Amino acid sequence: MQTVSNEKIITIEHLSKNYNTLPVLKDINLTVNKGEVIAIIGPSGSGKSTMLRCLNALETISGGEIFYKDKPVSKMKKYSKLREEVGMVFQHFNLFSHMTVLENIIYAPMKVKKRAKDTIVIEATNLLEAVGLKEKKDVYPEMLSGGQKQRVAIARALAMQPEVLLFDEPTSALDPEMVGEVLSVMKNLAKTGMTMLIVTHEMGFAREVADRVIFMDEGYIMEDGTPEDVFENTQNQRVKAFLSKML
Amino acid sequence: MAVFWKILVKYRMLFIGGLKITLIVSILTIIFGTFFGILMSFMKMSKIKPIRWFANAYVEFIRGTPVLVQISLVFYGLPMMGIVIPSIMIGDIDISRLSAGIIALTINTTAYICEIVRGGIISVDRGQTEAALALGMGNARTLICIVLPQAMKNILPSMGNEFITIIKTSSQVSVIGIGELMYAADTIRGISFEPMAPLIIVALIYFLITSVFSIILNNLEKRMARSTQRL
Repeated sequence: MQTVSNEKIITIEHLSKNYNTLPVLKDINLTVNKGEVIAIIGPSGSGKSTMLRCLNALETISGGEIFYKDKPVSKMKKYSKLREEVGMVFQHFNLFSHMTVLENIIYAPMKVKKRAKDTIVIEATNLLEAVGLKEKKDVYPEMLSGGQKQRVAIARALAMQPEVLLFDEPTSALDPEMVGEVLSVMKNLAKTGMTMLIVTHEMGFAREVADRVIFMDEGYIMEDGTPEDVFENTQNQRVKAFLSKML
Repeated sequence: MAVFWKILVKYRMLFIGGLKITLIVSILTIIFGTFFGILMSFMKMSKIKPIRWFANAYVEFIRGTPVLVQISLVFYGLPMMGIVIPSIMIGDIDISRLSAGIIALTINTTAYICEIVRGGIISVDRGQTEAALALGMGNARTLICIVLPQAMKNILPSMGNEFITIIKTSSQVSVIGIGELMYAADTIRGISFEPMAPLIIVALIYFLITSVFSIILNNLEKRMARSTQRL
């Protein structure tokens, strides 16, 4: 929508992924520019989440290569540096249940990035304020609603000051009335120029917020274009069939 | 009733001495057993096959053999392997025998605690590990700082159970001449010609110790449950 540069941040070349003998991703090619907001849509089982999880090496790849800032991911000895820069928000939030909201947010910047606690606490408080949960900082995750948990999870990922944020169906586990609050946080984030890849079933959100929409099916990227290209002008029968079911 | 009081008063120093040793053996076994049990559970889930095989074989062997045999094996086996713990006396405690007893009980308990901890770690949602890794944490930090604390909370009741079993099992080290409670009871039976009273007294003492432990553990459980509900 804005501030999309031509600086490549992630390049995927001929990526394939099998679970044992079952092919999930077949031949994925994709370039992500800095500041781009990309929505990834498609039927379940099409490999959307798997592709996303390959980007921060939560899944090992079977073939092809992923380049993060021109560095091949499969050649990395340790993934921790990559993961510090490529954050992830999960469908089921995965907040650490034995830590308070604030501890959840400051733990990794403190222990992984070895930054001073005082500054991180200030940053974390600001992040919580930005997601509207400042007063919940000393509460344990158990006491939060799904929407609140997901907003904390977004704050936790942002506290690492990542270059890219991956969202794996961030609203799929939420009650319908909580979807809006999470999407609005993500919408604000998109405006700041954060590079975002979002696997989602929220077509309205994809259309409104994304710079690019990718349609995946059967382990391939079938369509890649602006929201108008994909939602209105597509010639692809599968995309049409999928969208007619979703809308 | 009178005979109980007579025995209790007359041999109180033996009972107190036995209680002391029982507590030392139990508490040290609990500490070492928890440490090595956690370590063994990591080994059992290791990606490196030989480590996993060793841990599996260890647990199977220890669970499949009587603790009484293990105690004697350690006591007579250590010196044969060239590991001699000098027979220093601290007060009236023979360090050599005591160490052999604690080592044997620790070896035994490690196997059981390993399985309890492993169960606890498996019970923690996989998403916790993924979230930690996704934040750039290493495998060790993820396991020790994120997964283990949550596992511990889940397994506290089983751990408490195991600790109480340790206290009771410590009575078996009397076979290698460690002067703990059971040994004291046998000694007193021998010298007083009273067959029942010393046994009933130590049974009550054991029950007292395990009850105190139960109460402490219950409180700990409640406190940990509360820590996640605090507003």
